[in-house]
Amino acid sequence: MTDAIISIRNVTKRFGSFTAVEDVTIDIQPGEIFALLGPSGCGKSTLLRMIAGFETPTEGDILIDGKDVTDVAPNRRPVNMVFQSYAVFPHMSVADNVAYGLKMDRLPGAEIKEKVAEALEQVKLTDFAHRMPDQLSGGQRQRVALARALAKRPRVLLLDEPLSALDAKLRDAMRLELVKLQESVGVSFVMVTHDQSEALAMADRVAVLKDGRLMQLADPMTLYKHPSDTFVADFIGRVNFFEVEEFKPGSAEVRVQSLGAVTLPTPVEFAAGEKLVLAVRPEYMRVRPWDGTGVAATLGDVGFQGDSSIVEVTLESGQPVQVLSGIADTPVLLGLEPGAKVGVDVDLGEGRVLRG
Amino acid sequence: MESFRKNLSVFLAFFTPSAGWLFLFFIAPLGIIFVYSFSETISLTEVELTWTFENYGRLLEPEIQTLFWRSIWLASISTAVCLVVGYPVALVIATAPAKWKPWLLLIVILPFWTNLLIRTYALLNILGTRGRVNEGLEWLWTKADGFLTLIGLGAYDLIGEEFEPIVFLGRWSGVIIGLVYVHLPFTILPIYAALERLDRSYLEASLDLGASQWRTFRSVLLPLTMAGVITAAIITFIPMLGSFLTPALLGRGQVDMIANVIERQFKGANDWPFGAAMSLFLLYVTFIILAIQAFAAMRKQKRSERRG
Ligand SMILES: Nc1ncnc2c1ncn2[C@@H]1O[C@H](COP(=O)(O)OP(=O)(O)OP(=O)(O)O)[C@@H](O)[C@H]1O
Ligand SMILES: [Mg+2]
Repeated sequence: MTDAIISIRNVTKRFGSFTAVEDVTIDIQPGEIFALLGPSGCGKSTLLRMIAGFETPTEGDILIDGKDVTDVAPNRRPVNMVFQSYAVFPHMSVADNVAYGLKMDRLPGAEIKEKVAEALEQVKLTDFAHRMPDQLSGGQRQRVALARALAKRPRVLLLDEPLSALDAKLRDAMRLELVKLQESVGVSFVMVTHDQSEALAMADRVAVLKDGRLMQLADPMTLYKHPSDTFVADFIGRVNFFEVEEFKPGSAEVRVQSLGAVTLPTPVEFAAGEKLVLAVRPEYMRVRPWDGTGVAATLGDVGFQGDSSIVEVTLESGQPVQVLSGIADTPVLLGLEPGAKVGVDVDLGEGRVLRG
Repeated sequence: MESFRKNLSVFLAFFTPSAGWLFLFFIAPLGIIFVYSFSETISLTEVELTWTFENYGRLLEPEIQTLFWRSIWLASISTAVCLVVGYPVALVIATAPAKWKPWLLLIVILPFWTNLLIRTYALLNILGTRGRVNEGLEWLWTKADGFLTLIGLGAYDLIGEEFEPIVFLGRWSGVIIGLVYVHLPFTILPIYAALERLDRSYLEASLDLGASQWRTFRSVLLPLTMAGVITAAIITFIPMLGSFLTPALLGRGQVDMIANVIERQFKGANDWPFGAAMSLFLLYVTFIILAIQAFAAMRKQKRSERRG
């Protein structure tokens, strides 16, 4: 892929003997929202900071627009960053903050004014141009940081946990705002997040990282439906794992005892001796009063959520399982005593066999 | 505080010694000096309180004016040098790896572990015409002279016929070097504290927006640590203005500052009332500087409160 706007090639970053990022290769396409997702300390910020130029890769190269920028200083890279703390200069007005980067490009005064006005318009802060940052709310400050970075017309906008400093309600609103903004300005966004729902809702493609390694890179739907391993399946949404007791290498069929000795086909072939699990998401299972069919289980807690319920049941094998029950099933389940015998149906077509 | 008021005896037990100490060794002597400054010398050993303003009037004498302005000038130059030298040092410490920081800070405050008098004598040894600095310069001169002779330019005396040592002692240059040396830790520590508090992402944001290192220093780092710089300037300038030992030893009586002349009033000149007036004047100047700073800080506070 030569048209990638950013190419991260076999990049490794070590701090002393500690490896923060290990042999990561990613291509980011023009105009997409790309999310780096992973638990705390997995190296996502380090990766983003290497794109911005604040850290130098120990090994590997970073290309922007096909040019190797591995040794280029941050102030000479055509990318701009929105910091987690926003880093809006407290001693400058909103307009001066936005103008700062433009002054560095030595643009004429009139052009700076025009671009500042345009950038503030984009983030709906026109009326706040002359305020000082300590007169702004957290959300407004974030929009100043966005305007400041976007005014430079970067090839790529980097965002480190852009929503984590906002309260829950504003965060949901800003998700949509950011996506709309990206569509209107058309530059690629690379955002770091540890919130999987944020990544799924906003990104065109998501890279899942764990301990500095790239686990899977895919669009949100693929990530959710076809996770590459148990870590990704578990990190992206809820999932139940069932141990695979038996499989014949080469036959592409596995047997799961705890679901009543079912046999199901797998798309991939596994080698002998591997430990496998079957992963099934709660929404592909159903709980109903026991009628002699399905997998027998005992009912646990029913967590009513308004539009659905999270039902906990224990299979006869002793394994706890979470099931997402639709609103239609919920009244029946709420009517049952905890500990009642129930039947569980599993949509095996949506089960995925993974290395455990 | 509430409970202190209820248990009066406990309160007094804690309060009396410190208050007594303060009164005995600070308030009372200050009061005596205050009274002296309005008195007249009537004999070799006696003064009389006459509520005269003459001692303060004498502060306007050209000689004393020169002295005050020289002191302020020396302290200002030295403070400026301290800031220019101290800021980079503070920056180096603040950006050093965490495990080095305590050691670097230790080096900064290490001179405090030696008596000021001894340190000043050490400076005499270093700065004298036969001192270490001139020894080094002489060595360089000899080498340069030898080199010039070698390439056939020896006859022209391009760098003088013989080595002439640089005189520091008894000159303002020596006093400034001494003042800077003694007070540098007072400059470094407040600036270091301000740098340490500063969020690094401001600097990264500036670089990210295309600013050079120098521009980032000028437009972001310096403005955001200005409060620390002002504090450093004040707590460097005030003790410098009242310096006694450094100008006395390094100035050799030729670069007097206020404190040296005050001392002479109490000793050689035996003019205690005038010495008292000068001392209090120094105190007033200090108060005015502190008041201006407090006022500026208050206004800034108010402004940000009005915003918030
Ligand atoms: N300058 C540094 N020196 C030493 N170790 C570092 C440095 N920067 C990061 N690390 C380590 O590298 C690892 C990855 O850090 P990074 O900041 O990239 O994590 P992250 O994925 O962004 O986590 P979070 O979600 O908590 O921000 C962490 O274990 C961190 O301690
Ligand atoms: Mg991070």
